[in-house]
Amino acid sequence: MATVVKIVNRPAGWKRRSYLWGTMQGLGVTFGHLMRNWPRNLLGRRAQSDIVTLAYPEEKRPYPPRNRGLHRLMKRADGQVRCVACMMCPTACPAHCISIVPEESEDPRIEKRPRVFQIDELRCVVCGLCVEACPCDAIRMDTGIHAPPSTRRADAILDKEELLSRGELSVAVQAGEGLFWRERK
Amino acid sequence: MAGDRQAPPGPRANVKMVIDGQPHEFPAGLTILEACQRVGIVVPFFCWHPGLSAPAVCRQCLVEIKGFPKPIPSCYTPVADKMEISTNSPKVLDVRRQMLEFTLLNHPIDCPICDKAGECMLQKHYFDWDARFARNDGSKVRKAKVVDLGRHIVLDQERCILCTRCIRVCNEVARQADLVMAFRGDRQLLTVAPGRRLDNPYSLNTVDVCPVGALTAKDFRFSMRAWELWATPSVCPGCATGCNIEIHSARDVIRRLIPRPNPAVNKYWMCDEGRLTYRRVHQDRLVAPMVAGAPASWDAALGEAARLLASARDKSPSTLGVVLSTQMTNEDLFAFTRLAAEHLRTERVYLAGAPEGWCDDILVSADKNPNTTGAKLIGGLTLRTATDLKQDLETGVLTALLLVGEADAVGSLGSLQSLVVLTSHQGAPVAAAQVALPLAMWAEVDGSFTNRQGKVQRLHAAITPAGQARPGWAIAARLGQALGAAWRYANAKQVFSEACEKIMLMSGADWGKPEIPVQLRFANSRG
Ligand code: SF4
Ligand code: SF4
Ligand code: SF4
Ligand code: SF4
Ligand code: FES
Repeated sequence: MATVVKIVNRPAGWKRRSYLWGTMQGLGVTFGHLMRNWPRNLLGRRAQSDIVTLAYPEEKRPYPPRNRGLHRLMKRADGQVRCVACMMCPTACPAHCISIVPEESEDPRIEKRPRVFQIDELRCVVCGLCVEACPCDAIRMDTGIHAPPSTRRADAILDKEELLSRGELSVAVQAGEGLFWRERK
Repeated sequence: MAGDRQAPPGPRANVKMVIDGQPHEFPAGLTILEACQRVGIVVPFFCWHPGLSAPAVCRQCLVEIKGFPKPIPSCYTPVADKMEISTNSPKVLDVRRQMLEFTLLNHPIDCPICDKAGECMLQKHYFDWDARFARNDGSKVRKAKVVDLGRHIVLDQERCILCTRCIRVCNEVARQADLVMAFRGDRQLLTVAPGRRLDNPYSLNTVDVCPVGALTAKDFRFSMRAWELWATPSVCPGCATGCNIEIHSARDVIRRLIPRPNPAVNKYWMCDEGRLTYRRVHQDRLVAPMVAGAPASWDAALGEAARLLASARDKSPSTLGVVLSTQMTNEDLFAFTRLAAEHLRTERVYLAGAPEGWCDDILVSADKNPNTTGAKLIGGLTLRTATDLKQDLETGVLTALLLVGEADAVGSLGSLQSLVVLTSHQGAPVAAAQVALPLAMWAEVDGSFTNRQGKVQRLHAAITPAGQARPGWAIAARLGQALGAAWRYANAKQVFSEACEKIMLMSGADWGKPEIPVQLRFANSRG
């Protein structure tokens, strides 16, 4: 393919050629802002200034209320994982980042639970579909915690223990009948 | 009625009837349900199964017949002349929904942990015909969740909808009355007959026919959800019957084998032993070519194999033997027979295979090899037997051997000067061989087996071959090239077509259409 070269001639006359005037005009704008903002800033009236950037990390913008954050796995009353390894969340996950290996539980009232539960936070697109899909309120994304930085990919894969460490008791119930509805006479 | 023309008697008589306002004609003797299925009208059912008797216990298939005061079970009622049937009147839809509500009254709705979810008839019918919230706010009748019924099966009595399909499989297919119903009403439950266990050789068919997740196979239980699986049509390699199957696999691992209906071979069934043959596909596999006990590249291993075989052939072709196996596909057998005849120039071609085992007059053959018929057709009359092989090895007639396929216990291989083995599994032959080449197994290749009835049946590749394993015909072609052959094969179909041309008794066999794995996510309920 032929390269297209567009030649722009320098403007005529030394005034325009030196760009001196243009530079000074620009500096003038900056200086004007400075003069307007720094006294207010100094007097602690930053809100009245024109500054739109934040002094991160001293200042942080609050997240919107719908912010999700890191996943966590919820617990039963006895501290066991609520997840029943139903595979709804890996089925719903568009990023294929949830891996579950189910196993049989000795407790016949539980029957099935995850032996391995991993989420690859590097792949996760934080869509929340896993939470929507879960029929047991076993997985939540309500921690608001950023995925922490890591230097190795493997560190970004959260395992069952880590996900459970942020977990709490969930008393969500099935079919609107109340907790332990099976036990009720 | 007087003056009405009677339908002509005899088995070929046809009846004329009206379904949902449309006139249809059916052969007499069909049930209304079958007639509806023939013309594509959906009538839901639970207890009816095409391969079993119809006791009409679930009442899910009710339809209205003009002139009858009550809805009638369509699975049980034969078609008759001038019948007028309605399958979608408000009354039918209402009783259909009421029957579902009744079935669900004490159902635990365990779907998240139920192995049947995704292929459950109760789920499907509920979403198709009811889809309303439960009106029951009382407590449900609780029954046992984990009942060990036998070697292969676990029962969840709560999930059972009491359709008796499993009982009929035991009685009518396995011909052993292992299961019975106990108690009545909402306490009714399925259980084993007194003093028995569900241990018949066809017990896993009960899991397939169970319309819900009440019966689960210990082998498959909790390992996968149905929609994660991919189904590939194939043939069971367990014996000479050649039951048609579906291989259900996920991420290159086979998870279960399911019978595929074929009225001429296995109807709707297969034996438990055959179902578990898939395990061997993932056990002790030879995954890389080996030269002198160390892994080598394909090129190096093939070169060395060709050198060994060529030097044995050039010394004296009568001391070079080729052992084929009745476990191999027709394509592999044909390619190796050709290699033996044209390029190894030996007449010592032996046929080995798995030893005979138990049999019955239901499905299981004593011959535990899937392709004995095919091997005999392709190998022809000059094939020698495993006994000849043993003898020839003992007397030292053979000094070099090309051993192909899974041939257990062929005899002592110690006396051989050179041994080239093509096999799928680790074992004594691999340990004794100078060159061992990894062979792909039945679930990993496209090919065909000829069953004991002489039916040529297709296998389709469900998973990728283990490690570097390759199909037998492809290895034969490569060996042939190294030995100076001009023939090449691009795919199994080409070998098959050539075999059909050359072998008279295979002419007319059909390769069929290509099949690729289908995800069960799109396959709906299998009931
Ligand atoms: S938030 Fe979305 S991408 Fe992340 S694990 Fe859940 S479903 Fe997958
Ligand atoms: S959807 Fe919920 S219960 Fe099911 S596997 Fe995911 S976290 Fe576990
Ligand atoms: S049998 Fe069907 S409806 Fe019942 S729990 Fe299992 S999947 Fe759900
Ligand atoms: S276990 Fe399954 S097949 Fe047997 S009666 Fe119950 S629902 Fe029917
Ligand atoms: S299918 Fe007709 S009564 Fe069950």
